[in-house]
Amino acid sequence: MGENRPDVLQGTLDLMVLKTLETMGPMHGYGIARRIEQVSGNALSLNQGTIYPALLRLQQRGWIAGKWGTSETGRRAKFYSLSRIGRKQIEEETGNWERVAATMARFLAPSN
Amino acid sequence: MDRIRILLSRCAALFRRQELDADLDEELRAHIDLAVAENLMRGMTRQDAQTAALRNFGGVTQISERYRVERGLPFLETLAQDIRYGLRQLRKSPGFTLTAVITLALGIGANTAIFTLVHAVLERSLPVADPSRLYRVGDGNTCCYWGGFESDNGDFDLFPYDLFLHLKQSSPEFEQLAAMQAGGSSFSVRSGSSPAKALRSEYVSGNYFSALGVNAYAGRPLVDSDDKPGAAPVLVLSYQAWQSDFAGDPAIVGSTVYVQTHPFTVAGIAPPGFFGDRVIDRPPDVWVPLANEPTIEGAGTSLEPQGEEDTAWLYLLGRVHPQTNIAALQTRLSATLRQWMATSPSFVAHGGAAMIPKQHVVLSPGGGGIQRLQQRTGRGLRMLMLLSSVVLLIACANIANLLLARGTARRAELAVRMALGAPRARLIRQILTQSVLLSLIGGAAGLAVAYGLSHMILALAFPEARNMPIQASPSLPVLGFAFLVSLLTGVIFGAAPAWLSSQAKPAEALRGANRSTGDRSSLPQRALVVLQVSLSVVLLAGAFLMARSLANLEHQNFGIATANRYVLEFDPLGAGYTVARLPGLYRQIQDRLSTLPAVSNVSLARYTPLGGNNWASCVIQQGHPAAGPNDKCYSTWDRVSLRFLDSIGVPIVRGRNFSAQDTQGSTPVVLVNQSFARYFFPNQDPIGKHFGIESPKNSGSFEIAGVFADFKMTDPRGEAFPLFLRPLSQQYLGYTDPEAVSSEESSMFVGSIIIQFTRTQQDAEAMVRRTLAEIDPNLTVFHFVSYDSQIALNFNQDRLIARLTSLFGVLALILASVGVYGVMSYFVARRKGDIGIRMALGAKRSSVVAMVLRRALGQILLGLALGVPIALFVGHLMASLLYGVTRYDPFALLGATLVLGVCAAVAGFIPARRAASIDPMQALRTE
Repeated sequence: MGENRPDVLQGTLDLMVLKTLETMGPMHGYGIARRIEQVSGNALSLNQGTIYPALLRLQQRGWIAGKWGTSETGRRAKFYSLSRIGRKQIEEETGNWERVAATMARFLAPSN
Repeated sequence: MDRIRILLSRCAALFRRQELDADLDEELRAHIDLAVAENLMRGMTRQDAQTAALRNFGGVTQISERYRVERGLPFLETLAQDIRYGLRQLRKSPGFTLTAVITLALGIGANTAIFTLVHAVLERSLPVADPSRLYRVGDGNTCCYWGGFESDNGDFDLFPYDLFLHLKQSSPEFEQLAAMQAGGSSFSVRSGSSPAKALRSEYVSGNYFSALGVNAYAGRPLVDSDDKPGAAPVLVLSYQAWQSDFAGDPAIVGSTVYVQTHPFTVAGIAPPGFFGDRVIDRPPDVWVPLANEPTIEGAGTSLEPQGEEDTAWLYLLGRVHPQTNIAALQTRLSATLRQWMATSPSFVAHGGAAMIPKQHVVLSPGGGGIQRLQQRTGRGLRMLMLLSSVVLLIACANIANLLLARGTARRAELAVRMALGAPRARLIRQILTQSVLLSLIGGAAGLAVAYGLSHMILALAFPEARNMPIQASPSLPVLGFAFLVSLLTGVIFGAAPAWLSSQAKPAEALRGANRSTGDRSSLPQRALVVLQVSLSVVLLAGAFLMARSLANLEHQNFGIATANRYVLEFDPLGAGYTVARLPGLYRQIQDRLSTLPAVSNVSLARYTPLGGNNWASCVIQQGHPAAGPNDKCYSTWDRVSLRFLDSIGVPIVRGRNFSAQDTQGSTPVVLVNQSFARYFFPNQDPIGKHFGIESPKNSGSFEIAGVFADFKMTDPRGEAFPLFLRPLSQQYLGYTDPEAVSSEESSMFVGSIIIQFTRTQQDAEAMVRRTLAEIDPNLTVFHFVSYDSQIALNFNQDRLIARLTSLFGVLALILASVGVYGVMSYFVARRKGDIGIRMALGAKRSSVVAMVLRRALGQILLGLALGVPIALFVGHLMASLLYGVTRYDPFALLGATLVLGVCAAVAGFIPARRAASIDPMQALRTE
C-alpha cells in the first residue's frame, strides 16, 4: 500500500522512529531522539524538536500510541509504543525503502 | 483509509485544544528537563546544560507552531479567530457598526418586502394540477354584467351562458372548459339555528373543479350533473370558511344550509390552500353551480337570454389537451364567436352586424388564474420595485463609503502589521471576514424588516381582506439576491482598498500616513456621495409627486357631503323579502332608525355614491329610435328614497326634488344630474321631457322633474357621468318584455342605508345593528362604515403607493445625509493636521468652515444637477398613476431639490464646524 510522501525527510524520520520503538520497546520522546542521534552516528544534524511533529503524524495514523508515565529520573513524561498495525507498517516501509535504495544505487553506479 | 483517520483525528483535536496544548507543553518541558539531566550527568554546569539542551532541541516555539498546524484544522481555527476578531472590532466602533447594519437592514428589507409581494401577487400560480395547460378565453378586465359588444377593438372576454355552452360543445381541444362568475356575490348563509353570516360566493359551472384538477378535501367536488336544471341544489365550501365560520365541524358535509333562504346541501369542502380561480382580497367561501342562479337571483337572473337581451357575466377558463396549437385554437374560437353572434338578435340588431367581423377572443395563459387584480395593481407594484431598487443602491453606496473611509483610516495600522510579519493574505482575509460579518448581521436585520414591512403593506393595500391567498413571508431567492448584493459591496469596498494599500511597502505607507494632503483615495468616496444625492433627488421627487397626487384625490370636491354620515350595506333579497313586502320594510327601517338619538336623515339607495358599484342602462329619449351599437347612450341610474339628495348634501339646481306626491299611481318622475341634461338635452330645458330605458316602446316612461348638481357616483378620478334617480315609491309597470320586467323588479331592492347624524355619535354601529335586528333578525348587515371611510376605500392603492414612496423618499434623505456627513467627517479627520497648520499660520475659523463647506456643497450640487433629469424621467414613467399633477411638476422637483440640498448642507456643516473648533496645537501634536 504505497502512499504519497510529500517530504522524503519526513518519511525517513517516521521510519526511524518506528524502528527505534520496535527495537527498544516503549520510550519517551527524548529517549527516541537520543537513540536516533546515536544510531545515525550524529551524521544527521536534526534538531531534536522535529521528532514531535513526527510522533504526532504517527499517532494520527494509528501506528503508535502514547501514554503518560514516569521516566527513569522520576519525571512525568509521555511514552510511545508500537501498535499492531504499526508493526505491520514497518515491514511495508522497510520493503519500500530497500527498493528505492536499490533503484538509486543502480542509477548512481558508474555506467559501463 | 489513513486520510480519513487523520482527518477525524484533526477534527477531534479542535474541541480539546486547551487540554492538548497543556499536554504538549508538559511533554516538551519534560524533554528539555531530561536533556538537562543528561547534560548535568555528563558534567556540564547548570547554565551550559540548559543552553545546550535548548540548542539541540531547536526552537521550542517553532516546533510548537508546526505541531499545532499538523494537529488541528488550521483553516477553521484561523477563521474562528478572524471571526472573533472581526466581532470585537465591530463592537469597538458602535457608531460605524450601527450605521452600517441599519443601512443594510433598510435597503435589504425594503427591497425584499416589495419584491416578495410583487412576486406573490403578479406571479402567483393557482394551486392546481399542471397549471401550464390552463388557458383563459379572453384577457381583459370587463366586469360584471354586460350586454352587447364589449370593447372598441372587438376584444371579447365576458360571456353569456348560452355562448359558453356553444363554445364548450364545439371545442374538442379543451379537455374541460369551465365558466365562472366574473364578479362575486355576498350571500347570507345560515346553518342550523346559528344566525346568518355574510359569505362570499361564486357561481361556477359543474366541471369547474375538474377543469382545474382539484379534488375535495372532504365529501366531493361539483360535477356536471349538479349543473343541470332540476338537479338537487348543492354547493362546495372553502376550507378557510369551513374552519372560521362553521367551526371545522365535519358533520357539515351532507347537511343543509340556507343560502339567501334557499336550502342547499353541502357536497364537499375544497382543499386547504385552494382559493379559486383568481388572486383577490376576499376569495369565495362557497361555490354554487350555475344552474342554481335563477333560484337565488329570482327576478334578476342572468342565466337564460330574455327577449333581445343576453347578459354576459361569465369568464371562461379551460384545460387544453397536451400539444394543442394555441394560435390555431384562438383563431377557431374567434370564428365560432362571430358565427354565433351573427345568429344572435342582441348582436345583430340596430346595425350591430357591421361590428361583428372585428370581434375576436384572445387566449391567455390561465395558470395564474383570472388576472384582474394583477392588471389593476401591476403598474403600481412594478414602479415600487424600481423605487426600492434605488433605495438598495443608495444603501450600498452608503456602506461602500463607510468601508472606504474605514479602510483608509486603517492604512497605517495595516502597514505596521505587515512590517511585524503578518502575511498579506491573512490580513486581507481578516478584513474580508469583517465585511462578510457585517453583511450577515445586516442581512439578518433586513430579514426582520422585510417580514414586518410585507405584512404592513398587505394590511394597507387590502384592509378588507379575508383569507387573502398571498403569503407575506419573504421569498428566499429575493432575500438571497439582495443579500448577495450587499455582500459584494462589502467585499469590494472593504477588501479592495485593503489589497491596494497592502501592495505598498510598509515603510512608505507609514511615512506618509498622517501627513498626506493628496486625496486620490477619496475620489470613489466623492463619486459615491454624488451618486447618493442624485438618486435621493429621484426618490424625493417621486414621493412629492405621489403625495400631492394623493392629496388631490382625497381632498377633491366629490360633490357630496360626508360629515357625520354612515353607510350600511344589507340584502333584503337574501333575507327572503319579496317585492310586495319591500315598502313595509323600508317604512319600518326609516321610521325606526329616525327615532335613534341625533339622527337627522335616513335614506335608502340601491347604490351609494363612491360605493364601488352601479348600474347603467341605455337611455332612449321620447320618440327616438333604439340606439345603435356605436351610440354612446349609457347613463348610470339609482333607485333611492325621497330625501336621498338631502342625505348626501346635493342641491337641486332646477325644477324640484322628489316629494310625497310621487306615488305609485302618479306620473313616474326622475331626477337627472347636470351632465345628463347637458348630454341628452343640450341647449334645452330638460324639465318636463321624457325618456325611457330598455326599448323605444317605453321611451316615454319617465318624466324629468328636476336637475341636481353633479357629483361623482362611481369613478373618483373622472368627470361626473350622466346619472338619473328614480324614487322607491314608483315601480314602472309598463314593460312587456319579461327581462325588462324582472330587471325593474330587482331594482326595487335597495342595498344601502345612509344615516345622517347631527353630531358625532359614539356607538352608532351598535345602535343601528340592534335596531335592524329588532325589525328583522334575518337581515344580515354586510358593512357599516362612516361615509369618509367608504370614500377612502376607493383610494387604497393610491394611499399605499404614496405612503411607500414617501417612506422611500425619507429613507433616501436620511441615507444621503448620513453619507454626506460621514464623508465630510472623515475628510475633516484626515486633514486635521493640515487644518491645524493653516490655523496656526493665521487662517480664520470662518475660512476653514468655508473650505470644508465648499467641498461638501460641490458634491451636493453636482448630485442634484445629475438627479434632476433622472427625476424627470421617472416622473414620466409614473404619469399614469398621477392625479391632478403634471408629470414634470416643477413644485415637486423644486421641493425635492430644496429639502435634499438643505439636509445635505446641514449634514456637511456639522463636521465643518467641528473643523473650525480644532485647537491648532492639539492638531499638530497628534501625529
